[in-house]
Amino acid sequence: MKRNRVLISLLGIIGCLTIILVSCSKSNDNSTPPPNGNTDAVLVNLGTNIILPSYQQFATDVSTMNDAVIAFNTSPSLTTLGAAQIAFKAAYKSWAEVSEFEFGPAADLFLTTHFTNAFPTDTVTIINNLNGASYTIDGLGNYAAQGFPAIDYLLFAYGNDAVLARFTVAANAAGAKQYLAALTLSLKTKSAAVVNKWSASGGNYLDKFNKSTGTDAGSSLSLLLNAFVLDFDVNLQNYKIGIPIGLYGPSVLPKSPTKVEAYFSGMSSELLLAQVQACQHIYTSGSPNALADKVAATNAQKGGGSLNDAIKNQWTTLVTKMQALPNPLSTGVENEDPVINDAFTEVRKMTVMLKVDMSSALGIKISFQDDDGD
Amino acid sequence: MMMGTNLFTRYRHIAPLAVFRIAFGAVLFYSTIRFVARGWVHDFYIKPKFHFPFFGFEWLHPLPGAYMYALYLVMATAALLICIGLFYRLASVVFFLCFCYAELLDKTYYLNHYYLVTICSFLLILAPANRFFSVDILRKPSLEVTQVPAWTIWMFRLQLCIIYFFAGLSKLTADWFVHAMPLKIWLPAKSNIALIGPMLAQPWAAYFFSWAGALFDLSVPFLLLNKSTRPVGYLLVLIFHTLTAILFQIGMFPYIMISATLIFFSDNFHLSIISKLRAWFTKRPESQKAAIFLPVRKNRQKMVLGILMCYFLFQLLTPIRFLLYPGKLLWTEEGYRFSWRVMLMEKSGAAFFYVKDPATGRKFEADPSGFLTPYQERMMETQPDMMLQYAHILQREYRRQGIKDPEITVQSYVSLNGSGSRLYIDSTVNLANEKETWFGHKSWILPFTDKQKLQ
Repeated sequence: MKRNRVLISLLGIIGCLTIILVSCSKSNDNSTPPPNGNTDAVLVNLGTNIILPSYQQFATDVSTMNDAVIAFNTSPSLTTLGAAQIAFKAAYKSWAEVSEFEFGPAADLFLTTHFTNAFPTDTVTIINNLNGASYTIDGLGNYAAQGFPAIDYLLFAYGNDAVLARFTVAANAAGAKQYLAALTLSLKTKSAAVVNKWSASGGNYLDKFNKSTGTDAGSSLSLLLNAFVLDFDVNLQNYKIGIPIGLYGPSVLPKSPTKVEAYFSGMSSELLLAQVQACQHIYTSGSPNALADKVAATNAQKGGGSLNDAIKNQWTTLVTKMQALPNPLSTGVENEDPVINDAFTEVRKMTVMLKVDMSSALGIKISFQDDDGD
Repeated sequence: MMMGTNLFTRYRHIAPLAVFRIAFGAVLFYSTIRFVARGWVHDFYIKPKFHFPFFGFEWLHPLPGAYMYALYLVMATAALLICIGLFYRLASVVFFLCFCYAELLDKTYYLNHYYLVTICSFLLILAPANRFFSVDILRKPSLEVTQVPAWTIWMFRLQLCIIYFFAGLSKLTADWFVHAMPLKIWLPAKSNIALIGPMLAQPWAAYFFSWAGALFDLSVPFLLLNKSTRPVGYLLVLIFHTLTAILFQIGMFPYIMISATLIFFSDNFHLSIISKLRAWFTKRPESQKAAIFLPVRKNRQKMVLGILMCYFLFQLLTPIRFLLYPGKLLWTEEGYRFSWRVMLMEKSGAAFFYVKDPATGRKFEADPSGFLTPYQERMMETQPDMMLQYAHILQREYRRQGIKDPEITVQSYVSLNGSGSRLYIDSTVNLANEKETWFGHKSWILPFTDKQKLQ
């Protein structure tokens, strides 16, 4: 009967532990605020105060651009062109504030970097399309001849006189107008659809976003941070800086100034600054429910100090570095301006902090695959 | 016929083996179907342009497109045949070979539970598990036996004990015990789970689960072996694996262990399971048969026992081969795989590979998306042997692009269990010249030191 006693006492210990655990969790309900029902306050802040308003702003700016383009098409002049260019720049900068959210509605509705911001733009295809080739404006095959880079080309390439000529006296002026109008309309339609899908009054993805807590693949935090880090690592670091300065590439290529973002309008540095500021905003805005607070709560360390402070300081450094970039960036690349390499180095440090330190502090897998772990 | 008297050759009832065959076969079948249904055949074997085969198996390549699906179809069929015990011996050999092949193709997808499946399907080949309550017997009644040599059952029990015990041993580290890592990172993220959620956010929860987990792993083999503590042991198995299934994305592993550990139970327990199963299929009452003993050829049994001795020696030595290498195991991962090191690391990395043309001096960074899937890239970034393989992929590819002797270097950062990112690989070493070896230390892995200066 000794054995039975061992058994009973083991069961007793398990029972006691369970009671202790349950009572502890109960008593703690008062001291620490439990998560908001089934949501996470940080997610609520990100979705409600950052992501949705950013998309709303983007949709508004794109709509304004679309109107300006219609006005320009109706009566092309230096004045209407100027207005369209200003509206374009505002919308492009707004894009820098939503390119970080390429998951959920944006991914489903193809409002992605691939379709919206593939640069350098494919001028050969654009010209063919103007000249009457058949095209689907937002089609897969047309990906490099649409979005902001294509508009950048049509509204800026090779000076205002050349642009006006393209839309007035050129043989294919009607085709150019039609193509430009289709480009901005496609962006308008897509951005409105994404806003609608996020909004509580529409698809209410916001609600799903708020409730999909945790850090597993498919959780909101995992989706967001994967998109955020990918946009920073691949789009900003590699495509916007690394490839133009010839540091990065699939094949052996020297520096390529024409491969900067927004080559024709020359607003590359402005856009880089806008994106870095947007990232900073996403990371720090909404205290005490900011992403930064989530990182701070992990007590993760970096270089002897807190990781959160290190990341915050690096955003500040990056803003300064982007402000110092030459204008236009392409000329700086041509002249091998060390300021650009310097910016790249600082961006690289941030990539490591986001991809390695932040993700491991939060337990998020970057580049997740819906695979089992062990 | 020889009636052995020692622990391994004496005769025992076959029922535990038959139940194991059914349960394990069913889990294998389900997980194979699940693997295909999730699109992993495409994502893991068809989509990637390059693979990371295990050392010594570089000659293995995935089958083209549809054939890879065919392979998984064959595997699923074999698993089903194992479960119902039809053409059992052939099915178990086929399953083992197909599964091994798929596993050896790419380290990216290595999981301890795939290794468990590999070795258990090997053991199934040796076990006469179809000689009771199987379709093979309906096909050929003379196959039926009720008594088999005990080693056919004991080999599975021993294997499972080894798994738990080494899993427990590997937790006896400062990271796990003193710092409660990586659970301290993982558990708070689960605070929205019903009932236990709020508890998981508490600082002590990580310590409780760390210590309890290690205690469980180390003690459960003994609890399961001892008849009087077996129910408690199995209850703990249920609690532990159910909890891990709720908390972590670990797929089939909990279910494999829950079904496999049934083999520790007594003959009567398994006989009652079988009679319940039998009642599903036929209303005919079970006829009481006299004991039928599996005919054993002495020499052959000796040979199989010899094979098993080597096998278990291998099982005992493999997890401790890390002692052959200097440095922190979790950091270098030298001797990490095949050692039942489960859930020990929160590790992530970033690696920037540079290609230099010595002829022109031009150096640039390679775009990994041109070569690897994001998943392969992520796994490669924290595992030095995969980084070396990737460097060799780059060497080959850029040679093809016309660089005569491309120099491949890497700037790599890794964070391990909250250590913060640290330089991982010596960025001056040309990895194109480095070779993989058996048991040779990779001197270009920078040591993990607590005081490493951070960039």
